[in-house]
Amino acid sequence: MSETPLDKIRNIGITAHIDAGKTTTTERILYYTGVSHRIGEVHDGNTTTDYMEQERERGITITSAAVTCEWKGHRINIIDTPGHIDFNIEVNRSLRVLDGAVFIIEGVAGVQPQSETNWRLADRYNVPRLIFINKLDRTGADFYRAFDTLKEKLDIVALPLQLPIGVEDQFSGVVDLVEMKAIIWEGGELGAKYHDAPIPDDLLEKAREYRQLLLDTALSVDDAAMEEYFEAGDVATATLKRCIKAATISGAFRPVLCGTAFKNKGVQPLLDAVLDYLPSPIDVPGIKIAAEEGEDEHAERRRIKADPKAPFAGLAFKIINDKYGTLTFVRVYAGTLRSGDMVQNTTRGHRERIGRMFQMHADKRAEIKEVSAGDIAAFVGLKDTMTGDTLAAAEDPVVLERMAFPVPVIDISVEPRTKESVEKMTIGLQKLAGEDPSLRLRTDQESGQTILSGMGELHLEIIIDRLKREYGVEANIGAPQVAYRETISRAVTETYTHKKQTGGSGQYAEVKIVFEPLERNGGVVFENKVVGGSVPREYIPAVEKGIRVQADTGVLAGFPTVDFKYTLIDGKYHDVDSSALAFEIAAKACFREGMKKAGPIILEPIMDVEVTTPQDHVGDVVGDLNRRRGMIQNQESSGSTIIVRAHVPLKEMFGYISDLRSMTKGRASFTMQFHHYDPVPRNIADEIMTKSA
Amino acid sequence: MPTPRLHWMRGRAEAEGGETRALEWIGCDDAGAAIARVVRLQGPIHTGWRLYRAVALDTEARVVQLRPPPPAGADWLACIGGQVVGRAALPLQAVRTAEAALGTG
Ligand SMILES: Nc1nc2c(ncn2[C@@H]2O[C@H](COP(=O)(O)OP(=O)(O)O)[C@@H](O)[C@H]2O)c(=O)[nH]1
Repeated sequence: MSETPLDKIRNIGITAHIDAGKTTTTERILYYTGVSHRIGEVHDGNTTTDYMEQERERGITITSAAVTCEWKGHRINIIDTPGHIDFNIEVNRSLRVLDGAVFIIEGVAGVQPQSETNWRLADRYNVPRLIFINKLDRTGADFYRAFDTLKEKLDIVALPLQLPIGVEDQFSGVVDLVEMKAIIWEGGELGAKYHDAPIPDDLLEKAREYRQLLLDTALSVDDAAMEEYFEAGDVATATLKRCIKAATISGAFRPVLCGTAFKNKGVQPLLDAVLDYLPSPIDVPGIKIAAEEGEDEHAERRRIKADPKAPFAGLAFKIINDKYGTLTFVRVYAGTLRSGDMVQNTTRGHRERIGRMFQMHADKRAEIKEVSAGDIAAFVGLKDTMTGDTLAAAEDPVVLERMAFPVPVIDISVEPRTKESVEKMTIGLQKLAGEDPSLRLRTDQESGQTILSGMGELHLEIIIDRLKREYGVEANIGAPQVAYRETISRAVTETYTHKKQTGGSGQYAEVKIVFEPLERNGGVVFENKVVGGSVPREYIPAVEKGIRVQADTGVLAGFPTVDFKYTLIDGKYHDVDSSALAFEIAAKACFREGMKKAGPIILEPIMDVEVTTPQDHVGDVVGDLNRRRGMIQNQESSGSTIIVRAHVPLKEMFGYISDLRSMTKGRASFTMQFHHYDPVPRNIADEIMTKSA
Repeated sequence: MPTPRLHWMRGRAEAEGGETRALEWIGCDDAGAAIARVVRLQGPIHTGWRLYRAVALDTEARVVQLRPPPPAGADWLACIGGQVVGRAALPLQAVRTAEAALGTG
């Protein structure tokens, strides 16, 4: 593959409310870009359609983390942006690695609650956006009404670059307001054929009116363009496009296009708009290096400019295991990397050798020999690089993202349907947990059950589904539970002697351990203060192991015990009867006894909940949050919408989405993410313990 | 749209994030005399103990307060002589307002 200059690369995402047409639009994009790529290569008229059919069956491209396509001499990397808040970290990371996005809304319903949520997330990262109003072929579709919901629901300055020609099943093309022409699609060949035409007479008046609005709005961002307009009474197409691009990047307004992906109309001009208006890697300021520990996240920091000659820097944003092995998707911000090069994993502090590199296309994976600033590639065979890790050149070992510790707050128990697949299930779950840092796996000491913890119900459902599809294991799952934790509230010193005389050699071990509470997020800390070999060196790991295993099943209700320190201060052993196993058993029992005396408590996850509601429902929303033991943090208004932020125990948030919908007639939406752990109130602790007993 | 009858050129400007942006556009007749202005509203600004919600520059570049403050989204004033003849969200719209006022007046 020839090298693509930086200004001809676009890294984009496509985001949409579920069912708005993200998949269909992506498919069409891959189809049309595939076609243009093949012209001159394949002359058989049927080949392209066949290829589309095959694609449909395999569907690989759509599930890939990033797919590369070519359009009019540009390379477009489409990065998958998961659309659900259960994947907060992934959504945030994918929004960071892309430079622009296409935001799809539906022509019938317009902006829907989940589109609002996605829009605001993109706002947080200042992602430049084009809006595509899809499904204009559907009965009841209305471009102008859908357009109005942009202003009403999102409170943005949206600006049409196109108007639809015909409605519903008569929808046949668009008026291009930039070049003042009509674009008409011909039937057949999945919409690959279209031509320019004069604007239909009945639309001329309206087109002029909207063209004037376009000029009024777009030229106001650029004084030189204003002068050109005053001079000539109009501006060159290139001038207008320059203004639209600048405003798209700054967010001064949001360009709106339209069509129907399903009926194959409007997608090619959307691709043109991606090239014309969304930024290339050199049109954006460059990624900020990560904040130092304790430094303000929003402070000004060094930015990495897209420069192929600078030292290498890239961010691993997605890891996928498929039948070829592990693929690590990396967004390259600076420098050039060739296969065989060594890089530093600056997040984890080790070196990695770059093996083979690929770019994923709709129909093939293309091996590449080098990848440069601004581009995206999938690396095969990285040893120990997780999503969110930075890879950098040794001479400038920057870190682009602090290691995040996503806290899995929902537990489910998992059990294979057949006894034979126990091992397969364990291997599968371990692999999946390796790809996804927000997934955790443990075994309950008492019940022997496998417990899977994740970010939310949907997150876990998807994992169970992947277990079935990718590892062929069907599993039964328990009801989702809050992932409680246990900890202690005071220090205690406990001695335990394990002694057993069974015929031949006996078992003997004694440990004396101090257990102390740590601050929240203190983890589990071990210190060895044994002097004079009262517990021989070789048994210390057994003591540690005993505590670690036992701590996974707390003494109150069987939840993992966290935020404590244990210090081994003394013990006794026997030359013949002591063994690692005896010390492990002693440590486990010492933990169980010690914990009971150390004022054990149960901790519950408290979520940071953000509800966006129209003004008229604020009272209901706040009252309801209070009933859910929520603590209101603040309220902000933006236009006629109010954003309420509150800390609410996760337990009280089950079923919130449907309650919120009925309370606000579907007009409010919310996001939530883990904030901290807090002790549960007495009555709820009793409830939890009764249930677990 | 008919071609504007005045010749518009950049008036005073302000530096904004490394760029200079026009704060006003001056409309001149064929003889080069300044006839109309469109002015960007600024504010709110704090001066000492008072808060001015909407202010603009007059022909002598003095900051003048506007009373009553214009509705939200009306960021540009169309002026002829010392008189405000209309308001608009965007500068090109204000230019048309000024020219229309000249035509009818
Ligand atoms: N009538 C019509 N249906 C569409 C259009 N685009 C998508 N669909 C249909 O809407 C449904 C959801 O589309 P999909 O692309 O899977 O949406 P996603 O959930 O956003 O990925 C599917 O049944 C599509 O066939 C369109 O432009 N017109």
